[in-house]
Amino acid sequence: METLIQSIVSGLLTGSLFAMIAVGLTIVFGVMRIINMAHGEMVMLGMFGAYWSYEKWHVDPFVAVLIWVPLMFAFGMAVHRYLLRKIVPGGELNALLYTAGLSLLIANLALFLWTGDYRSINLAYAAAPMRPFGISISKPLAIAFVMAVVVMTALYLFLSRTDTGRAIRATAQNPDAAALMGVNVLRIDTITFGLGTALAAAAGVLLVPSLYVYPTVGEILVVKCFVIVVLGGLGSVPGAVAGGLLLGLVESLGAVYVSVAFKDTIGFFLFLLVLLFRPAGLFGVGKS
Amino acid sequence: MTNRLLAVAVAAALLLAPLLTANTFFHHLLIQVLFWTLLGASWNLLGGFAGQVSFGHATFVGIGAYTTMLLYLDLGLPPWLGLIIGGALAMVLALPIGLICFRLRGPYFSLATLAVAEIVRLVVLNWESLTAGPMGLQITTLPSMRWFGKAVDWESKLPFYYMVAILTAFAMGVTWFVSRSRLGAYLLAIREDTDSAEAAGIDTVRTKVIALALSAFIAGLAGGFYALYFRYIDPDAVFSISMSVEMVFIAVVGGIATTGGPIVGAVFLVVISEIFRDRFQVGHLIFYGLLMMIVIRYLPEGIWGRARLLLPLGKDGRD
Repeated sequence: METLIQSIVSGLLTGSLFAMIAVGLTIVFGVMRIINMAHGEMVMLGMFGAYWSYEKWHVDPFVAVLIWVPLMFAFGMAVHRYLLRKIVPGGELNALLYTAGLSLLIANLALFLWTGDYRSINLAYAAAPMRPFGISISKPLAIAFVMAVVVMTALYLFLSRTDTGRAIRATAQNPDAAALMGVNVLRIDTITFGLGTALAAAAGVLLVPSLYVYPTVGEILVVKCFVIVVLGGLGSVPGAVAGGLLLGLVESLGAVYVSVAFKDTIGFFLFLLVLLFRPAGLFGVGKS
Repeated sequence: MTNRLLAVAVAAALLLAPLLTANTFFHHLLIQVLFWTLLGASWNLLGGFAGQVSFGHATFVGIGAYTTMLLYLDLGLPPWLGLIIGGALAMVLALPIGLICFRLRGPYFSLATLAVAEIVRLVVLNWESLTAGPMGLQITTLPSMRWFGKAVDWESKLPFYYMVAILTAFAMGVTWFVSRSRLGAYLLAIREDTDSAEAAGIDTVRTKVIALALSAFIAGLAGGFYALYFRYIDPDAVFSISMSVEMVFIAVVGGIATTGGPIVGAVFLVVISEIFRDRFQVGHLIFYGLLMMIVIRYLPEGIWGRARLLLPLGKDGRD
């Protein structure tokens, strides 16, 4: 029984960070209809940012997130404004290939600058886990979970309450109609891409105390994200949150009750089943 | 006429190229170019002609490589036979994969192929009794063979060069034949507008499955060649996402839906990667990524795709 609760808790904690990355991917898809293959590299950049700010200046990653998120937001906007904007009208597949090129470029630039070594940081307070009710919870993961909840709530309020948020949702529903209502769609695209990048990077920063940092880490994470957004329905924000938590649970329970070696395979099987039988996502809210 | 001349010129170049020098590095480079041409040509049949962007083609390379290796190591079958069986097996496994993935379109199809490839990679990685898992498989010696009365020297690069040259000529022949055939026209119709193609009476799923089968066969042959040439394979070498992605790049940089595109793409990318591999040790793929972005932005029809418009290659403009 304790094992079950333990795996549910750790599944949900990791799942919340998967969810955050996936939300970034899904809003970009929702607004621009692009699957950003370079999304994982944005997570990787966030991770390296947090790693270096800890190594050089001893800034705790949970503080550094306040620096790296705005920086990566600006970076994402610049990537869209100067690189991606010209490509998007050329069609979904061109954009897909272009972001695949971008992904290779960023990952290998990182490999060149920082080598392929696996790095990690040791936070003094992270050494001993918390032990409420006889289960063990990693402190950095718990803090990251709380911060992820805060970020998602803020995002929810931003999307539902502010003018820019409404314009983003309008563009996702129908870009032409939004443009006719006076929404500057190109500007919204740029902001959305910045937002997606910032979410990915934020999750990256929060993951640093719990995960190894290396240049190609993005590849694994982005594939997980594809699974999540398809589970939740491409383009749906609540779907991505639910999908992220679900994948976290499936992996954690699968590792305990099926096999560690095949925990990733279970996620992919689930993914294929959903693609085949419910392409709009488990909750039927995505766009197929 | 020009087409035929071009084909003869390419064949002559393939035959004579390694005789220019005895430099083994140069031979290795030529082999690399032809190997990647093969992969580009394989991806091009499905991704280029039919517009079905697969991010999972390494699956077929891996199946070919493992089949060739296992048939030789466990059953002692001659490698050339294993290579053909590897291609055939890749083709057979392409059928269920196609039936699953072709129910989806556009980016959904791409994601599905990625997922299937990851499933296959993880299965191969964990099926240790058959595949030795992450340890990989290794060939120490290749069987002695005679060719025109002379013993084949497996330590030299030349037998491998001619092996991959034959495979490449075959792949280019298939591509040329497809581009001229009804099948090619169907595939282009599917790429341009699947619904209209369907409405015009084309069985789109069947057509796509045929293209995938041809494509998988060639990728399987390439995988078998990889196993024999490098004599070592592991799941990360032949089943990796990066292998799938690089195949796409070769075809796109060269020019999708053309016969000559993959070879042009392979020359560019192999040369770039060799130049920068020396200079930067790691991270030479930076320039792959950069070139990909530049091509999509400024030359979406690819290098050969643009060049052939400037050359007098038959009046219909096809190569």
